[in-house]
Amino acid sequence: MNAVVRARRRGRELWSAGPFLAPSLLLFALFFFYPLGKTVYLSFFLTNAKGEAKSFVGWQQYAELFASPDFQHSLWTTLLFVLLTVLPGLLLALLLALLVEKPLRGMAFFRTLIISPVTVSVATASTIGLLLFNPSISLLTYGLKFFGVPDIAWLTDPFWAMISVSLVTVWMGLGFHTILLLGGLQAIPQELLESAKIDGAGYLKRLRHVVLPLLSPTLFFVLVVSVIGAFQSFGQINILTAGGPSRSTHVLVYSIYRDAFFNFQFGSASAQAIVLFAILLLLTLLQFTVVERKVHYQ
Amino acid sequence: MKKALLSGMLALSLGTASVLVGCSNSEETSADAASNGVVELTLWHAMGGGAGKGLDAIVQAFNDSHDKIKVNAVFQGSYDDEFNKYKTAQGSDTAPALMQVYDIGTRYMIDSEAAVPVQKFIDAEKYDTSDFEKNILNYYTLDGKLYSMPFNSSNPILYYNKDAFKEAGLDPNQPPKTWAEVNEDAKKLTKKTGGGQTERYGMSMAIYGWFFEQYMANQLQLYANNGNGRQGRATQAVFNNDAGVAFVDWWKQGVDSGTFGNFGRKTADTQAAFAAGKTAMFIDSTAAVRGVVDGAQGKFEVGTAELPKTDGAPGGVIIGGGSMWIMKDQPEAKQKAAWEFIKFMADPKTQAVWHTATGYFPIRTKAYDVQELKDFDAKYPQFQTAVNQLHNTKPSEATSGAVIGVFPEARATVETTIEDVLLGKKTTKDSLDGAAQKVTDALGKYNQLYAK
Repeated sequence: MNAVVRARRRGRELWSAGPFLAPSLLLFALFFFYPLGKTVYLSFFLTNAKGEAKSFVGWQQYAELFASPDFQHSLWTTLLFVLLTVLPGLLLALLLALLVEKPLRGMAFFRTLIISPVTVSVATASTIGLLLFNPSISLLTYGLKFFGVPDIAWLTDPFWAMISVSLVTVWMGLGFHTILLLGGLQAIPQELLESAKIDGAGYLKRLRHVVLPLLSPTLFFVLVVSVIGAFQSFGQINILTAGGPSRSTHVLVYSIYRDAFFNFQFGSASAQAIVLFAILLLLTLLQFTVVERKVHYQ
Repeated sequence: MKKALLSGMLALSLGTASVLVGCSNSEETSADAASNGVVELTLWHAMGGGAGKGLDAIVQAFNDSHDKIKVNAVFQGSYDDEFNKYKTAQGSDTAPALMQVYDIGTRYMIDSEAAVPVQKFIDAEKYDTSDFEKNILNYYTLDGKLYSMPFNSSNPILYYNKDAFKEAGLDPNQPPKTWAEVNEDAKKLTKKTGGGQTERYGMSMAIYGWFFEQYMANQLQLYANNGNGRQGRATQAVFNNDAGVAFVDWWKQGVDSGTFGNFGRKTADTQAAFAAGKTAMFIDSTAAVRGVVDGAQGKFEVGTAELPKTDGAPGGVIIGGGSMWIMKDQPEAKQKAAWEFIKFMADPKTQAVWHTATGYFPIRTKAYDVQELKDFDAKYPQFQTAVNQLHNTKPSEATSGAVIGVFPEARATVETTIEDVLLGKKTTKDSLDGAAQKVTDALGKYNQLYAK
């Protein structure tokens, strides 16, 4: 087949694919590409409180960002938050999924119980958190007192504020991640496990050499999605700590919100959003080139 | 599988960038003038809890007595939330006809040219404001014009637990008057358990920028240049002077000595700590009087005192609270209706009712002649403190408060600064210098957009 014929065929295919792609392209353009373009545009302007671009400043807001210690602090805080929520969340979900996977009597009840946080909204979870972490009437402190644990300033101490926010985040994601991993576990062919058993492999050996490799696509998916989710966390931080105390939970998305809808500097907020976008893009590509090598697709 | 995953995840990360533009308000549209000659208008406010109920009662009374006007009051959350919602709704038909704005929103409201100064209505019908509190009018008057009608005014006072004072061997009728006295009393009031845990702190303040602003005025110092932005547009924050440092240092030594508690930024959390007996004294707005006194009912007796000051400070406070703004983009009929409602709210009788329901003080002296108010203040002497403090304040640029367009940001910046100092991350002077620089930068950007 010569090149001309091939090109012609490809042209025809595009023509016929067009109408089928149009609806989703339209939606994408409207809800992703237009806002993205607008965000890039706004990042080069000073805006008034209504978000209208008023005066062109070029790269100034990006330059200010990279020179700003607050922005660097926000980046580190975000990374710390991602570390504190993603890995513990993933391990905990895996543990729970392995526990409730067993086909025992009454397991459906426990599964429902463990998966139930999936129905709780960010606002509800954070409000529960506020009650648990209240400085003078904290349920958690009261409970811990029985074990002789001294008072903890959950939300007023920078170290504990980060822990508190992370705890709520891990708890919120737990249900969904467990569902995904449970689905992955149940898709593993029983014959593989059985033949490993016959070969004399113990539980841990089976887990390490059969279950985990076969679960790796799901694990990888959960990892990537929860990294992105952690980077974009907002509600629990806004409600629990408002970025404080002393900026200890001032993650990037919270900083974007603060600049856009509190300080009304949409330009600077847009620049931060673009930086966050670039970071996530890079990180996701990195995960696909590095981590994915370890993933075993059937 | 792989390709689909990749593209799906890239789409997810794209979502980040669209978060910004995607966020916009969708409020219910305000009702327009109905056909039967009744003018309906929407009022946005930030009065929750007891104050919200008080305001609803006033609106109800107004609607019952005016058959041609119907006011719909809509609670929009905290002052910050309400103001930020307004900024995004401004100019659309979801914006209200009448709005309660906090004191520190004044400069922005003027600059955005969205409101009709109430002076216009005052002049038009020669409305008499001669018995209005001078200190309150001063706050909202710029270039000789009263821009908005004060409604709820308050200032900060010291609350203390009289029973705890007795227990610690202090005279419950001699609250501390100076910082040094606060330190001494706080030391005696602090109670520790056997394990070294603090059961009760002597003194507490929520990390609230308003207190910092108050203590600048209390020491007769400016917050921003050009006479607190009252002689001309402020271009520089100047709160990083000795007075600012002295106040934050006082706070810091209290926290370091273990006699001052830290219950975070929310004033409600410090109030809860007081009610739970976890702090024996605290500073808060007089608007909290009703809630604090009721909350301590049956547990302990609450005393109130004027804001303790540093030696040699002249004293005095800034008027805090909110005022009512009439929006320019509304039809004239609605503006007139809004003005009618404002007059109703400023009526001595309404102000007396409002005072007793909340703790905000009346904006005019004639309210003190209303019998209900006299009876009430006799029963709750705690209410009297804020009124005395208001009358003892000598009007000046410092005590009139700053008018800057980036005040919400400035206040939040100062709050972070105070946290940095209390947690020992930075020294007071360094930290305040940094904050002042940030506010000055923000002022520069703001002026670039709005200064003419």
